[in-house]
Amino acid sequence: MLSFVSRRLATGVGLIATLAVLTFFFLQFGVSDVAQRIAGQQAGPDAVAVVEERIGVDRPVLVQFADWASSALTGDLGRSWFSGQEVTEAVMSRMAVTVSLAVGSVVLTAIIGITLGALAATRRGWADRAVQFLAVLGQAIPGFLLAMALVLVFAINLDWFPATGYTRPSDDLGAWALSITLPVVALTVGSIGGVAQQVRGSMIDAFERDYVRTLRSRGLPRRSIVFQHVLRNAAGPALTVLGLQFVILLGGAVIVETLFSIPGLGPLALNATSQGDIPVVMGIVVVTGVIVVLVNTLVDVVQAWVNPKVRLS
Amino acid sequence: MSSVSPAAAPARRSGPGLFRRLVRHPLGGVSMLILAVVVLIGALAPWLAPFDPSATDLRMILAEPGPEYLLGGDAAGRDILSRLLVATAFSLAGGLLVMAVAVTVGLTSGLIAGYYGGFIDAAGAWFTALTMSLPSIIVLIAARSVMGPSMWWTMAIFGLFISPVYYRVVYTSVRSVRNELYVDAARTSGLGDARIIGRHVLLAVRAPVILLMSGVIAAGIGMQAGFDFLGLGDPTTPTWGQMLNEGFYNINRSSNLVLWPALVLGLTTIALTLLGTALRDELEGTGDKRHKAASPWALDGEVAPLLDHGDAPAGEALLTVRDLAVAYPAADGYATVVKGARLTVRRGETHGLIGESGSGKTQTAFAILGLLPQGGKVMAGSVEFDGEELVGRSDAQMNRLRGSRIAYVPQEPMSNLDPSFTVGHQLTEPLVKVLGMKKGAAKERALSLLAKVGIPDPQRAFDSYPHQLSGGMAQRVLIAGAVSSHPDLLIADEPTTALDVTVQAEVLDLLRDLQEELGMAILIVTHNFGVVADICDRVTVMQKGVMVETGATRAVFEGPRHEYTRALFAAIPQGAPRAPLPGVASAGSLGAGALR
Amino acid sequence: MLRHTKLAAVAGMATLALAACSSSGSDDATSPAAGGSEGTAIEGRAPELRIGAVVDISTWVAADAAWGNEATYYMAVYDSLLRTSATNEVQPGLAEAWEYNEDLTELTLDIRDGVTFSDGTALDAQVVVDNLNRFREGASPDRALLDAVTDVTAADDDTVVITLSAPDPALEINLSMQAGLVASPSTFDAPDAQTTPVGTGPYVLDAASSTIGATYTFTANEDYWAPEDQHFDSITINYYADASALLNALRDGQVDISNLNSLTQIPDAEAAGYTTNSIPVNWKGLILADRWGVNNEALADVKVRQAINYAIDREGLLQGLESGYGEPTTQIFNVEGDAYEAELEDAYPYDPEKAKSLLAEAGYPDGIHITMPQTSFVPASEPELIKGVLAESNIFIDYEQAGESFFGDLLGGKWSAFAFGLNQEPLAWQTYNQAIAPGAAWNVYHQADETVEALAARIRLGGEDGAAAAKELNEYVVDQAWFAPFYRVIGAIVTADGFAVTMKSGQAVSNLWDITATA
Repeated sequence: MLSFVSRRLATGVGLIATLAVLTFFFLQFGVSDVAQRIAGQQAGPDAVAVVEERIGVDRPVLVQFADWASSALTGDLGRSWFSGQEVTEAVMSRMAVTVSLAVGSVVLTAIIGITLGALAATRRGWADRAVQFLAVLGQAIPGFLLAMALVLVFAINLDWFPATGYTRPSDDLGAWALSITLPVVALTVGSIGGVAQQVRGSMIDAFERDYVRTLRSRGLPRRSIVFQHVLRNAAGPALTVLGLQFVILLGGAVIVETLFSIPGLGPLALNATSQGDIPVVMGIVVVTGVIVVLVNTLVDVVQAWVNPKVRLS
Repeated sequence: MSSVSPAAAPARRSGPGLFRRLVRHPLGGVSMLILAVVVLIGALAPWLAPFDPSATDLRMILAEPGPEYLLGGDAAGRDILSRLLVATAFSLAGGLLVMAVAVTVGLTSGLIAGYYGGFIDAAGAWFTALTMSLPSIIVLIAARSVMGPSMWWTMAIFGLFISPVYYRVVYTSVRSVRNELYVDAARTSGLGDARIIGRHVLLAVRAPVILLMSGVIAAGIGMQAGFDFLGLGDPTTPTWGQMLNEGFYNINRSSNLVLWPALVLGLTTIALTLLGTALRDELEGTGDKRHKAASPWALDGEVAPLLDHGDAPAGEALLTVRDLAVAYPAADGYATVVKGARLTVRRGETHGLIGESGSGKTQTAFAILGLLPQGGKVMAGSVEFDGEELVGRSDAQMNRLRGSRIAYVPQEPMSNLDPSFTVGHQLTEPLVKVLGMKKGAAKERALSLLAKVGIPDPQRAFDSYPHQLSGGMAQRVLIAGAVSSHPDLLIADEPTTALDVTVQAEVLDLLRDLQEELGMAILIVTHNFGVVADICDRVTVMQKGVMVETGATRAVFEGPRHEYTRALFAAIPQGAPRAPLPGVASAGSLGAGALR
Repeated sequence: MLRHTKLAAVAGMATLALAACSSSGSDDATSPAAGGSEGTAIEGRAPELRIGAVVDISTWVAADAAWGNEATYYMAVYDSLLRTSATNEVQPGLAEAWEYNEDLTELTLDIRDGVTFSDGTALDAQVVVDNLNRFREGASPDRALLDAVTDVTAADDDTVVITLSAPDPALEINLSMQAGLVASPSTFDAPDAQTTPVGTGPYVLDAASSTIGATYTFTANEDYWAPEDQHFDSITINYYADASALLNALRDGQVDISNLNSLTQIPDAEAAGYTTNSIPVNWKGLILADRWGVNNEALADVKVRQAINYAIDREGLLQGLESGYGEPTTQIFNVEGDAYEAELEDAYPYDPEKAKSLLAEAGYPDGIHITMPQTSFVPASEPELIKGVLAESNIFIDYEQAGESFFGDLLGGKWSAFAFGLNQEPLAWQTYNQAIAPGAAWNVYHQADETVEALAARIRLGGEDGAAAAKELNEYVVDQAWFAPFYRVIGAIVTADGFAVTMKSGQAVSNLWDITATA
């Protein structure tokens, strides 16, 4: 088990390294005039040269990368070319916000998705159709449309939640919960469908398993078979989907956070990437990569916990 | 492999009938109609649009719908209708581009990696992992900052980014197909690699590739709309996302601007997603199988008479099956798998039910237990157990008998134990929940049963998970579970077929011992006369869903009366390979793959 | 909806130099309003002000500071040497008094005593000298504001002497903006200077409660030298990267005062109970840059340029692009400045026939083609409307998609004409340096013109003759059709109930101390 986890983590590190290299060199194509943009459009060549020297883009690309990589290994991701903020600080403080959105959303997705999926799988018939249709509807409606609609209805007309902004949980827990409710809902609705479908599918699959028939032959009521045996065995694939959803949710957060003016990674990524702020983009890519690798490893570990075959071998 | 319903088997193909089936599918028809209209609009947009979609008119700024601008004017005095039409074309083209790139890249790389493996395989897996560890929108924004705001580039890159969806599906299919015999055969028969891929593999991956298409297009359209809504799109190519962007910006001035693009975008993505569901139902057969049959069920043809040796001993009949018929819904009506099951089992008797694969004997056993697979239904006849009619009973009513008075031992020991729970849990759960025993007592009973069925270290088996047991051990566990309630009737479905020959004899001995000790009746379903000869008092022969002969084992063995029974005896291996049975070859037409 | 934000950023960037000495306005807006409500720590102060911003602060380094929409951030933590009132009257700042020598080439500043930075450092003349030199020699895009300065010295502890190469009528105004910001010496070489400001200003940035690029919280500086200008205990500036997000914040009443991404948001804000405060800020129109025909020969002909002016439906474009929030104009000079002439507004009435005949006279009977840039900062409908209007007079615009290097290309002379918005500078001299002088950024081909040079020499010296020369310059530029302005567009700030603001002439944002609580 331990070697399994460490193997997963090692692959993850390789993956992040690849990601970092690709991103760095890809972004080089976009930064030809980044110094001019930092210095301001009316800045003369000498002012631009000063900026170029300050941010180090006057050096060969390979040297720049080696420099970045060696400091990154010591945990120093440099400073933003534009705002001058330390990348580690910028990414970490915003990552906390985004991860709280994504985790909230994954939890909500899991609860609703599994309930709906289980309902569809056990009831079949019209209930199945209704649940599937709802799931499909959620999947089909773009997140930004939903976000706008939620704001118009629940924030502006009903005034139950703030329309924009974010309160830190350390400042006011209640206000924090209110401030992330609408964004989390906007993120969640789209991902419920996939999870519900997956749970439905694997539960139906589990239902047709031989051991379910054998358990029934021993007089066990259907409900106890569903809740104990079928759900447990459908949990594996559902977990995998939830893990994938997490990455998708991180992406969805880019749009949702921008629309709700939430200081998460999304607006930072949007801004840094379109400006060509390479240190920040690299920081986001690396930290996101780390989180995704951790989440995937976690999913595998939980998977093993659910499935004794993996756990015991 | 055991319980796929027969109806699923014929549904698992694509081909010419797919389109017609989709149209008939309740969701498929509607969604295809919507999509057809949207695609038509997109394709004809340049001719349909009454105005140049980018032509502005100062007088028509935010104009109300009227005779000139049918849907009104936007913030720049452009015709909303014309823009909507052209935006439809661009949005669809974007979605299709995503799909085209994803299919081309995913299919090609999946085929190559799946067929040849090696480093291509590793590279593919690596790329897949890469795309899954970074949200695609970040990549798209980065690409935009490098290549400028071009819708075509953005969509092509997005296609590349989600191509692993296809890659994985194709790769997995190719892997499994590759290992199947016919590809090996094709290879040895001298076909080139390209032709092998073309002929067999492409055929195998066709269904999943089609299946994913609508989802990928929907994802492309959704991503494009979001991207454009954030103002990251190319202003020269109007899309739904851009119209929404401008619309929400002016929502207080005119709601027309949001209404129409939102409506078309929503309808299109919903239709695409629903089409995906319909496609999956039709291609994979996961849909609700309770569709109405074209015609009511009827027994076709006469049921042959049962040749009864008439040597039944006097004794109380425990189980009496009369003219039982079992059917599954099929594409054209019903597939009747059991036509006329007739059977009597007396108390304490060991009764063999014998027949070829697909003769319907397992279905008969399931029907008695009330455990027919999804879709299966008892259409006629009766099952009487100890004087009570079982046909038509609810699940809850059946549960009063199952696990206490009627028990069941399955054929395949491994798949009949839940891999996620320990043997002990699976043995004690029914004792506690069905028989109402205390936990401690249930454990004691389970341990003693394990010992009784000849497991050397009961405590260890009790704590084990199924995959830690051998097949013979697992079968003993299942038998222990079945007899744990001291049932009156034990139905054993090919209890030895999946086991090694030496273990087979041990298990039969065990059953015999248990029967003597507990005095229960056993109905053994088997295709093996050896088993019958070994432990059965009486035997019933079944052919194509009908019982054809019944009598004392000795009497039937010595004087088989039915032609089929005689043929079965003739086929018992005597050093030479078994010859096909006359009149049996067609048994497969009922769906031999699905039935045992 | 990012592009609307960028549009605002562009508008902010175009704010090269602002404010003016023209003090024609008479309303005294700088009265130290004693708003505030009960229960606050300091009498006369309201507890909190929430500002909505459409532009993020790019850097806290005073020497690199920009102005325009970013001014609010700087005015919170920094003081400038001088200040300008809402009517652009120059007032004391960190310099209590200031005086020119006779030939206007030496400015002596008397630095205020007893002022300390928020890190405890005391303010003295040498700190001011260092700050001015850092601005002049640094990388600021706006360091040209101090181009005329040749030397800065500390005569004693509280006296600074600025020596000029030639008189600069805009110097006092420039010292009231980014060029006059004074930061603590401790920040000069600090690695975190870009994110951690140390100034003498009315408020101090609370870094712990702020998120860079999103929310900035400031608390009142209890040692401030002008407590009558501190109207709040704390200030929060929320930056809205997305126009929809700002609209939603307004609809939900989440800010007390806000700039807007676009004037089309005014009806929404008013529907949500906000009051609109407005003042003309920019002129918008075409810059007919290629007057020598470098890229487009046709534009070298004054008749063609005049034809373009006749081809513009100013009223229609104002309605179409700005929902009518503005005034049609033909001039690029500030209404309140010396150069403005009301009669000139009628110079080019909308007349497509006249435009066509002028084109024919110039030898283009079939019309002309002009290539212009199109960017994603501006809603696509805007260039389309302009194109549609000009096409009626056979002036055909071909748009070319601008990449990320848009500004570099634009200022490098890639396009012979383009649509843009520029600030209406308070002083004619500033406008000259912004868009007319050979070295001016927005004279992108940097053409020199003898008539203009002669007039500029007179404007520089000021006085009545300077004012007359400014009028002549305006007439000349309008007649020669160097530009094709559409209209003056207003800058608008919306305020919630209980808050008030005095708009500042020619500036997108007001002075921070002109925002008060009224409840």
